[in-house]
Amino acid sequence: MLNQIGRICVKIAGRDAGKKCVIVDVLENNLVLIDGQTRRRKCNIMHLEPLNEMIELDKGASHEEVVKEFKKLGVEVKETKKKASADKPAKTRDVKAAQKTEAKKEKKKPSKDNTKKKKTK
Amino acid sequence: MPITKHRSRTLRKVYVKTPGGRTTTHFRKRKPASAKCSKCGAVLKGVPRERPYKMMTMAKTMKRPERPYGGVLCSRCMRVAIKEKARA
Repeated sequence: MLNQIGRICVKIAGRDAGKKCVIVDVLENNLVLIDGQTRRRKCNIMHLEPLNEMIELDKGASHEEVVKEFKKLGVEVKETKKKASADKPAKTRDVKAAQKTEAKKEKKKPSKDNTKKKKTK
Repeated sequence: MPITKHRSRTLRKVYVKTPGGRTTTHFRKRKPASAKCSKCGAVLKGVPRERPYKMMTMAKTMKRPERPYGGVLCSRCMRVAIKEKARA
């Protein structure tokens, strides 16, 4: 069996072409789940070149287990760091600035009133 | 009769429809030859055929497919090459 769980393959199509991967699960007639140097993803068998090497893996093994087994073989897997989701910037009210603007408004208002009053007088 | 400089075929003709409804001929510089696979000579898909100044303004990802040997080999030849590499 070429398309067994644990078979090491080389991807030959797409942006992951030329990278090594392992079959983690057999999904359908022609579809398998792969993991390793490539992204963990569904893949058509026609896009894989099976190699002679095998790994002992459980069905649906996690990415960390696959990385461990790859290290034993001497195949490096680039770890992509997940970006920590940044907190939304909380709306903080600048109290001092708000007070200043309010003070300015208050100053302006009476001045206008005064002028009007003068005119009326 | 077009003016003398437009009688040679150094420039290509482009028919442009004007806002008034007329179709006029504009003369533009010719485009360079399309990119070919270095192994089999097939025309490469996903590689635009534009003059260098326009290629310079384009993003790198717009100018070739995002795979190994993208913009050099066609996908079929790339598969053969990678298979040979894996089997060796």
